Amino acid sequence: MPKLIIDSKEVSFEQGQTVLEAARENGIKIPHFCWHPKLSISGNCRICLVEIEKLPKLVISCSTLAAEGMIVHTRSEKVINARNAVMEFILINHPLDCPICDEAGECKLQDYAYKHGTGESRFVEEKNHKDKRVELGPHVMFDAERCISCSRCIRFCDEIAKEAQLTFIKRGDRVTIVTYPGQQLDNPYSMNVVDICPVGALTSRDFRFKARVWEMSSTASVCQGCSRGCNIDIWVRNNEILRLTPRKNEEVNSYWMCDHGRLNTFKFVNENRVGMPYIKSGGELIQSTWDAAVNKAASLLKTVNKDKTAFIGSASASCEDNYILMKFARSVIGTKNISYYKYIDENFGDDILRRSDVTPNSTGADLLGMNGYLNYSNLSDGINNGSIKAVYLMDDNIVDKDPSLEALFSKLDFLIVHSSNMTKTAGMADVLFPSAAFAEINGTLVNFNKRVQRLRPAVALKEADRSLDGMNVSRLDKFGTGYDRWAQGRKRDALSGWKIISMIAAQLNNKFKYDTAEDVFNEIVRSIPEFAGLDYELIGKNGSDLKVKIAQPTLKA
Amino acid sequence: MDIWITIGFTLIKMLVIIVIMFLSVAYLVYFERKISAWVQDRLGPNRVGWKGALQPFADVFKLVLKEDIVPDAANKPIHTIAPVIALFIAFSTYAVIPFGPSLEIFGYTVSLVVADVNIGILYVLALTSIGVYAITLAGWSSGSKYSLLGGIRSSAQMISYEVSMGFSVAGVLLLSESLRPIAIVETQGAWLWNAWIQPIGFITFLVSAFAETNRLPFDLPEAEPELVGGFHTEYSSLKFAAFFLAEYANMLIASALIVTLYFGGYNIPFIDINSIGLAPWLAVAAQVAAFVGKVVFMLFFFLWVRWTIPRFRYDQLMNLGWKVMFPLSLLNLLWVAALIMIFKM
Amino acid sequence: MSVKKRAKDLTLLERIYIPEIIKGLALTLKTMFRPKYTMEYPEEKFVPPPSYRGRPVLVLDENNEERCVACGLCSRVCPSLAIDIQASETEREKERYPERFEINMLRCIFCGLCEEVCPEEAIVMSKDYEMAFSNRENAIFGKDKLLVPVSQLKDRIEFLRSYK
Repeated sequence: MPKLIIDSKEVSFEQGQTVLEAARENGIKIPHFCWHPKLSISGNCRICLVEIEKLPKLVISCSTLAAEGMIVHTRSEKVINARNAVMEFILINHPLDCPICDEAGECKLQDYAYKHGTGESRFVEEKNHKDKRVELGPHVMFDAERCISCSRCIRFCDEIAKEAQLTFIKRGDRVTIVTYPGQQLDNPYSMNVVDICPVGALTSRDFRFKARVWEMSSTASVCQGCSRGCNIDIWVRNNEILRLTPRKNEEVNSYWMCDHGRLNTFKFVNENRVGMPYIKSGGELIQSTWDAAVNKAASLLKTVNKDKTAFIGSASASCEDNYILMKFARSVIGTKNISYYKYIDENFGDDILRRSDVTPNSTGADLLGMNGYLNYSNLSDGINNGSIKAVYLMDDNIVDKDPSLEALFSKLDFLIVHSSNMTKTAGMADVLFPSAAFAEINGTLVNFNKRVQRLRPAVALKEADRSLDGMNVSRLDKFGTGYDRWAQGRKRDALSGWKIISMIAAQLNNKFKYDTAEDVFNEIVRSIPEFAGLDYELIGKNGSDLKVKIAQPTLKA
Repeated sequence: MDIWITIGFTLIKMLVIIVIMFLSVAYLVYFERKISAWVQDRLGPNRVGWKGALQPFADVFKLVLKEDIVPDAANKPIHTIAPVIALFIAFSTYAVIPFGPSLEIFGYTVSLVVADVNIGILYVLALTSIGVYAITLAGWSSGSKYSLLGGIRSSAQMISYEVSMGFSVAGVLLLSESLRPIAIVETQGAWLWNAWIQPIGFITFLVSAFAETNRLPFDLPEAEPELVGGFHTEYSSLKFAAFFLAEYANMLIASALIVTLYFGGYNIPFIDINSIGLAPWLAVAAQVAAFVGKVVFMLFFFLWVRWTIPRFRYDQLMNLGWKVMFPLSLLNLLWVAALIMIFKM
Repeated sequence: MSVKKRAKDLTLLERIYIPEIIKGLALTLKTMFRPKYTMEYPEEKFVPPPSYRGRPVLVLDENNEERCVACGLCSRVCPSLAIDIQASETEREKERYPERFEINMLRCIFCGLCEEVCPEEAIVMSKDYEMAFSNRENAIFGKDKLLVPVSQLKDRIEFLRSYK
């Protein structure tokens, strides 16, 4: 391997790497605004200037190819002076907006100004004024004054989202970014430009001014939007999810996620929740207690012939929940009527990240052996011809997807539902259990590519204690008391599916002995060969591939 | 018939004394707070009544309204009886202290002392010794370590200082050759007071009096920083009030006793009242006023010292008692004996 | 061998102690007659100097608009986490304003860091020291209680400018 010397440290690199990449791989930090590992090199910000011996001038490390025997200085006086000068130049027209800027706290420019700036400005003239509130698209707001013209967003649209929508216009200090005439920044990945923008020029219209970044806790999790299972961080303040951001994972989603996943997959955790167990009485759901609901469910399950009871799992639920449902159906009730619904939306999939299978865990459900799936007509036929008299439904709002089931469900002897939200399906239940949402539990999902990934609790349930249960805490969580309004965020009285089912099993004299989701997963590992050798630690933050590979188109990014 | 009149006069004297004592004790508390404030550049209580003059009544009212709490671990009968003893001792001691000479009322000679007992001084010493029981029992019966320590300290302190107190008084008794308080007062006359004749005895008596009344700098039994409240930690409401009143009543008695023994009692300084030729009732009134004036000064002195001198450490207290006060009081005895030998033989 | 005299060694006169007591008594007696400095509070009120840090308040500027832009720096710097802010968007030029601004006066320690960190001179320490609450809810001051016209805060703002 060829070698070069950076800051008197010998470093090896691969042919074709730039100096910046070689330094980065070896833990030497060279500041950069316009360079992004997944975007083409633009070289316009000039902050990555380094000194290379035998070259007459400083060069930008992001576009200089590393060569054998090169001697690079990143901290020499010349480089530091140049950096100070570049910072000063960039800051000339950058407004002092930090107090009202959403980027503050995670802003590259802010960080570099501390690290590489001189601390004061010699520029006494009036700063440039440009448009401050431009709606570039449905989800993105643009503040032209803050823009440092790094062109990351333009390159992202061209290269990653593959829809050229943004461009520079004008020159010099009047340069600004606009959408092409008649266009909007409305590609399905548009919000990634908010993440990659090194300043606060591009902000999320959804998250705008909701919270300062330092007030939230972030928890590594997995997106629920489709079977890609993009890695995400869940940002929580006062026990409420405020935003999702993509988390880098080269095996799954690289640095990106789609707007649908970012915007539409977390709001249900905050709103319209099933707050407690319910029992239907006189056609209406009446608030109840866990004991009563579990008793009721257990006694209902005894009333119907086991072969006439259908258990329906969910491609949105974790492997743990589906496994326990299956175990319950087979060993406690003794029926083979177990299945789940798969949701395919051909319009949704694309060849970037999105998959047509819009549930996060259908592969997991298949691997667990939740029998070849029923389709709608099968369940309908079953209910119609009387071969199915009772349904136990976990975490799937099927009535919304197939309204014809509404009439059929009223023919059933009983319907037991786990649901996190007050949906149409939940409203039809005879016994309704509040189930925990993906952001509230430990669990595993298997993506289309057979990669097992972890869910972690970001929002605390009533049974949980943020710090005692090892959940991520923000400063406010850590030091707040029950008397502080900002620490009184509602904790829902919901439980993971496997816990609810274990309670019912106990009522039917079958002890399921699990303390944690990890216990359940360990049993899955023991009993399902595909999962062999895995454990929560091994899965870690980035997930772990199952041994059985199916050929799938890989990520193009 | 005479006996009934004597009893009647005695009852009246008792009534007058008790009322006066209650009032003066109440106002003693008020002045304690005022003087502490003045010493510390403050104003002191000034909310209730003119310049806070009704403060004592507000204090009493508050104490009466408080809940009476008795700890579970307390020995309840003794816990209840201890403050009663304290108060009883404090008030009954005053019986033998004369506050004026004899007075002719409707042809009857009335001496201005409740009980003119010929062993009066012995009576005082005896009763103050019983006073230790109140504090010790209170400390022991409360079932609390702080109370117990306070009680034990108190008994040790009182016993120690009673020795030097006793020897100091012995000097006075030698001179007047009587245990009758009136006789002691009469012996001293207009200016030949014991305080000048036996200064060492006076100082040892004064210091012992401070120790006996548990006043600063000798208030070890209730040393707040160490013992919370000392023997009365577990007392509240009226029982606490009883201890509180007893402390100030004791102070009043100590002052009266010092005046009687060392400052010529009701004698007016340097004036032979009977030779001026005032009306007899006026002369008596002047003498009572002289007595009251002296007592008031002594009380002020008590308060003044409290807000000037810090508390002794316990070992210092014991050292002072046994190694300084006791030898000094013996020395005083020798001194008085020598005086008697020189002048009377 | 001579024993060195130490500062704490007392002379004989000092060890007799009585002269020292008399000195002490003389001092306290003198003090008793000195003028008193007590301020009789409810009748007579203390008017603090501009350097006084009383209750933190939000400034309403000359146009009767709040200066605060809800940047959250005061909330972040507050060592006792007394400040709770929810920002929101406004059509005015400054874009951002506090939809909710609450100071929990039971948590506030009057350190003045919020005032020091504020980039807009929007939160300052007033001269108000009279704060008594009968329950916890009343101790949480919202915008209704916090906003104070700038004219009442001139002293403090001038003081701050002279030190910045």
